[in-house]
Amino acid sequence: MSEAAHQNHTEKKAFLVNSSSLKEVRTFCRDVFEKLHIQQDLKDELVLAIAEAAQNIVKHAFKNSADANELMVVQISCENDKLQIAFYDRGTPVDPKKVKHREIDNVKPGGLGTFFIQEIMDAVEFKDGKKPWINHLVLTKQL
Amino acid sequence: MSYKVTEDGNIATVHLDGEIDMDVTEKAKEVIFPHIEAGKEVHLNLSNVQYMDSSGISVLIESHQKALEKNTKVIIKDVSKSVLKVIMMAKLEQILNLE
Repeated sequence: MSEAAHQNHTEKKAFLVNSSSLKEVRTFCRDVFEKLHIQQDLKDELVLAIAEAAQNIVKHAFKNSADANELMVVQISCENDKLQIAFYDRGTPVDPKKVKHREIDNVKPGGLGTFFIQEIMDAVEFKDGKKPWINHLVLTKQL
Repeated sequence: MSYKVTEDGNIATVHLDGEIDMDVTEKAKEVIFPHIEAGKEVHLNLSNVQYMDSSGISVLIESHQKALEKNTKVIIKDVSKSVLKVIMMAKLEQILNLE
Protein backbone atom coordinates (compact mmCIF):
# COMPACT_ATOMS: atom_id res chain seq x y z
CA MET A 1 0.00 0.00 0.00
CA SER A 2 1.46 3.39 -0.98
CA GLU A 3 2.01 6.02 1.67
CA ALA A 4 -0.43 8.94 1.77
CA ALA A 5 1.01 12.18 0.40
CA HIS A 6 -0.92 14.27 2.91
CA GLN A 7 -0.97 13.68 6.65
CA ASN A 8 -4.21 12.65 8.32
CA HIS A 9 -5.73 15.67 9.97
CA THR A 10 -9.11 16.95 11.22
CA GLU A 11 -10.14 20.42 12.27
CA LYS A 12 -13.48 22.06 12.79
CA LYS A 13 -14.65 25.55 13.61
CA ALA A 14 -17.98 27.26 14.28
CA PHE A 15 -18.97 30.50 12.57
CA LEU A 16 -21.88 32.87 12.97
CA VAL A 17 -24.28 32.45 10.07
CA ASN A 18 -23.88 35.76 8.29
CA SER A 19 -22.12 37.06 5.22
CA SER A 20 -19.34 38.72 7.19
CA SER A 21 -18.28 35.26 8.43
CA LEU A 22 -17.39 34.12 4.91
CA LYS A 23 -13.96 35.75 5.09
CA GLU A 24 -13.30 33.89 8.37
CA VAL A 25 -14.39 30.62 6.74
CA ARG A 26 -11.87 31.20 3.94
CA THR A 27 -9.11 32.05 6.42
CA PHE A 28 -9.84 28.87 8.39
CA CYS A 29 -9.72 26.75 5.22
CA ARG A 30 -6.50 28.34 3.98
CA ASP A 31 -4.84 27.68 7.35
CA VAL A 32 -5.89 24.02 7.35
CA PHE A 33 -4.84 23.48 3.72
CA GLU A 34 -1.51 25.12 4.52
CA LYS A 35 -0.96 22.47 7.23
CA LEU A 36 -1.91 19.77 4.74
CA HIS A 37 0.61 21.14 2.19
CA ILE A 38 -2.01 21.33 -0.53
CA GLN A 39 -0.66 23.11 -3.61
CA GLN A 40 -1.82 26.66 -4.31
CA ASP A 41 -4.09 26.10 -7.35
CA LEU A 42 -6.00 23.27 -5.69
CA LYS A 43 -6.13 25.22 -2.45
CA ASP A 44 -7.77 28.17 -4.25
CA GLU A 45 -10.37 25.87 -5.79
CA LEU A 46 -11.16 24.13 -2.51
CA VAL A 47 -11.48 27.43 -0.66
CA LEU A 48 -13.91 28.62 -3.34
CA ALA A 49 -16.03 25.45 -3.09
CA ILE A 50 -16.18 25.65 0.70
CA ALA A 51 -16.97 29.36 0.71
CA GLU A 52 -19.76 28.79 -1.83
CA ALA A 53 -21.28 26.07 0.36
CA ALA A 54 -21.08 28.35 3.40
CA GLN A 55 -22.63 31.15 1.35
CA ASN A 56 -25.51 28.85 0.42
CA ILE A 57 -26.16 28.25 4.11
CA VAL A 58 -26.25 32.01 4.77
CA LYS A 59 -28.35 32.77 1.68
CA HIS A 60 -30.79 29.88 1.61
CA ALA A 61 -30.91 27.88 4.84
CA PHE A 62 -31.21 31.02 6.96
CA LYS A 63 -32.92 33.44 4.61
CA ASN A 64 -35.94 33.77 6.94
CA SER A 65 -34.00 33.71 10.17
CA ALA A 66 -33.55 36.77 12.34
CA ASP A 67 -31.39 35.00 14.93
CA ALA A 68 -28.00 36.68 14.81
CA ASN A 69 -26.45 34.01 17.05
CA GLU A 70 -27.04 30.97 14.86
CA LEU A 71 -23.93 28.96 14.14
CA MET A 72 -22.69 26.81 11.30
CA VAL A 73 -19.81 24.39 11.74
CA VAL A 74 -17.24 23.57 9.07
CA GLN A 75 -15.15 20.43 9.57
CA ILE A 76 -12.21 19.58 7.32
CA SER A 77 -10.81 16.05 7.50
CA CYS A 78 -8.07 14.44 5.50
CA GLU A 79 -7.60 10.70 5.74
CA ASN A 80 -5.53 8.61 3.36
CA ASP A 81 -5.49 11.53 0.90
CA LYS A 82 -9.26 11.76 0.86
CA LEU A 83 -10.45 15.21 1.81
CA GLN A 84 -13.86 15.48 3.41
CA ILE A 85 -15.50 18.79 4.26
CA ALA A 86 -18.63 18.66 6.40
CA PHE A 87 -21.04 21.51 7.07
CA TYR A 88 -23.58 21.50 9.88
CA ASP A 89 -26.35 24.03 10.36
CA ARG A 90 -29.77 24.41 11.94
CA GLY A 91 -31.46 26.30 9.14
CA THR A 92 -34.42 25.39 6.94
CA PRO A 93 -34.09 21.72 5.92
CA VAL A 94 -32.52 21.44 2.48
CA ASP A 95 -34.34 19.42 -0.16
CA PRO A 96 -31.45 17.98 -2.22
CA LYS A 97 -33.72 17.61 -5.24
CA LYS A 98 -34.17 21.38 -5.32
CA VAL A 99 -30.46 22.14 -5.18
CA LYS A 100 -29.36 22.80 -8.74
CA HIS A 101 -27.36 25.38 -10.61
CA ARG A 102 -28.58 27.43 -13.53
CA GLU A 103 -27.87 26.36 -17.10
CA ILE A 104 -24.33 27.54 -17.64
CA ASP A 105 -25.08 28.90 -21.14
CA ASN A 106 -27.99 30.95 -19.86
CA VAL A 107 -25.85 33.86 -18.74
CA LYS A 108 -27.44 35.80 -15.90
CA PRO A 109 -26.46 36.81 -12.40
CA GLY A 110 -26.78 34.11 -9.73
CA GLY A 111 -26.98 30.34 -9.68
CA LEU A 112 -23.26 29.67 -10.06
CA GLY A 113 -22.26 28.72 -6.53
CA THR A 114 -23.59 25.19 -6.73
CA PHE A 115 -22.03 24.83 -10.20
CA PHE A 116 -18.61 25.77 -8.82
CA ILE A 117 -18.96 23.30 -5.94
CA GLN A 118 -19.86 20.47 -8.33
CA GLU A 119 -17.06 21.39 -10.74
CA ILE A 120 -14.42 21.39 -8.01
CA MET A 121 -15.45 18.52 -5.74
CA ASP A 122 -15.72 14.80 -6.55
CA ALA A 123 -18.94 14.34 -4.59
CA VAL A 124 -21.61 16.45 -2.92
CA GLU A 125 -23.88 14.67 -0.48
CA PHE A 126 -26.70 15.88 1.76
CA LYS A 127 -27.02 13.67 4.84
CA ASP A 128 -29.55 13.69 7.66
CA GLY A 129 -28.39 16.09 10.31
CA LYS A 130 -28.02 14.48 13.72
CA LYS A 131 -29.33 16.53 16.64
CA PRO A 132 -28.79 19.40 17.28
CA TRP A 133 -28.12 19.90 13.59
CA ILE A 134 -30.71 19.95 10.80
CA ASN A 135 -28.57 20.05 7.68
CA HIS A 136 -25.38 18.08 7.13
CA LEU A 137 -23.61 18.60 3.81
CA VAL A 138 -20.52 16.60 2.91
CA LEU A 139 -18.13 17.49 0.09
CA THR A 140 -15.36 15.08 -0.82
CA LYS A 141 -12.27 15.22 -2.99
CA GLN A 142 -9.52 12.70 -3.56
CA LEU A 143 -6.19 14.52 -3.28
CA MET B 1 -12.96 45.69 -0.19
CA SER B 2 -11.69 49.15 -0.97
CA TYR B 3 -11.87 51.00 -4.25
CA LYS B 4 -10.61 53.97 -6.23
CA VAL B 5 -12.36 55.67 -9.14
CA THR B 6 -10.79 57.94 -11.72
CA GLU B 7 -12.78 59.63 -14.45
CA ASP B 8 -11.31 60.77 -17.73
CA GLY B 9 -13.82 62.04 -20.27
CA ASN B 10 -16.35 59.30 -20.90
CA ILE B 11 -14.26 56.61 -19.23
CA ALA B 12 -14.60 55.76 -15.55
CA THR B 13 -11.85 53.50 -14.23
CA VAL B 14 -12.81 51.58 -11.12
CA HIS B 15 -9.99 49.88 -9.19
CA LEU B 16 -11.28 47.29 -6.76
CA ASP B 17 -9.00 46.01 -4.02
CA GLY B 18 -9.46 42.99 -1.76
CA GLU B 19 -11.72 39.95 -1.84
CA ILE B 20 -15.09 40.14 -3.59
CA ASP B 21 -17.69 37.97 -1.92
CA MET B 22 -21.36 38.14 -0.94
CA ASP B 23 -20.53 40.49 1.91
CA VAL B 24 -19.28 43.26 -0.38
CA THR B 25 -21.29 42.83 -3.58
CA GLU B 26 -23.77 45.60 -2.71
CA LYS B 27 -20.87 47.97 -2.12
CA ALA B 28 -19.27 46.94 -5.43
CA LYS B 29 -22.55 47.58 -7.26
CA GLU B 30 -22.89 50.99 -5.59
CA VAL B 31 -19.44 51.89 -6.91
CA ILE B 32 -19.81 50.52 -10.45
CA PHE B 33 -23.46 50.91 -11.48
CA PRO B 34 -23.84 54.72 -11.32
CA HIS B 35 -21.12 55.10 -13.95
CA ILE B 36 -22.87 52.64 -16.24
CA GLU B 37 -26.21 54.33 -15.63
CA ALA B 38 -24.55 57.59 -16.65
CA GLY B 39 -23.60 55.96 -19.97
CA LYS B 40 -19.87 55.90 -19.23
CA GLU B 41 -17.49 53.24 -20.46
CA VAL B 42 -16.30 51.50 -17.32
CA HIS B 43 -12.82 50.04 -17.00
CA LEU B 44 -12.86 47.65 -14.10
CA ASN B 45 -9.32 47.06 -12.89
CA LEU B 46 -9.08 43.83 -10.90
CA SER B 47 -5.31 43.60 -10.52
CA ASN B 48 -5.64 43.82 -6.72
CA VAL B 49 -8.52 41.37 -6.42
CA GLN B 50 -7.11 37.96 -5.50
CA TYR B 51 -10.40 36.24 -4.67
CA MET B 52 -13.83 36.40 -6.24
CA ASP B 53 -16.74 34.03 -5.65
CA SER B 54 -20.03 33.51 -7.49
CA SER B 55 -21.46 36.71 -5.98
CA GLY B 56 -18.59 38.71 -7.46
CA ILE B 57 -19.06 36.98 -10.80
CA SER B 58 -22.73 38.00 -10.66
CA VAL B 59 -21.65 41.63 -10.26
CA LEU B 60 -19.50 41.29 -13.41
CA ILE B 61 -22.42 39.75 -15.36
CA GLU B 62 -24.90 42.35 -14.14
CA SER B 63 -22.48 45.18 -14.96
CA HIS B 64 -21.91 43.77 -18.45
CA GLN B 65 -25.63 43.40 -19.10
CA LYS B 66 -26.45 46.87 -17.74
CA ALA B 67 -23.78 48.36 -19.99
CA LEU B 68 -25.28 46.66 -23.04
CA GLU B 69 -28.67 48.16 -22.16
CA LYS B 70 -27.04 51.60 -21.97
CA ASN B 71 -25.13 51.12 -25.25
CA THR B 72 -21.81 51.28 -23.48
CA LYS B 73 -19.38 48.65 -22.19
CA VAL B 74 -17.52 47.38 -19.18
CA ILE B 75 -13.95 46.32 -19.84
CA ILE B 76 -12.34 44.10 -17.22
CA LYS B 77 -8.64 44.88 -17.00
CA ASP B 78 -5.58 43.26 -15.42
CA VAL B 79 -7.49 40.36 -13.96
CA SER B 80 -5.41 38.23 -11.59
CA LYS B 81 -4.73 34.58 -12.40
CA SER B 82 -6.91 33.34 -9.55
CA VAL B 83 -9.92 35.46 -10.58
CA LEU B 84 -9.45 34.58 -14.26
CA LYS B 85 -9.71 30.93 -13.27
CA VAL B 86 -13.11 31.57 -11.69
CA ILE B 87 -14.28 33.55 -14.74
CA MET B 88 -13.20 30.64 -16.95
CA MET B 89 -14.87 28.10 -14.70
CA ALA B 90 -18.10 30.06 -15.23
CA LYS B 91 -17.37 29.97 -19.00
CA LEU B 92 -17.57 33.75 -19.22
CA GLU B 93 -14.21 34.55 -20.81
CA GLN B 94 -15.85 34.90 -24.24
CA ILE B 95 -18.79 36.91 -22.94
CA LEU B 96 -17.20 39.50 -20.67
CA ASN B 97 -14.79 42.04 -22.18
CA LEU B 98 -11.41 40.99 -20.76
CA GLU B 99 -8.23 42.92 -21.47
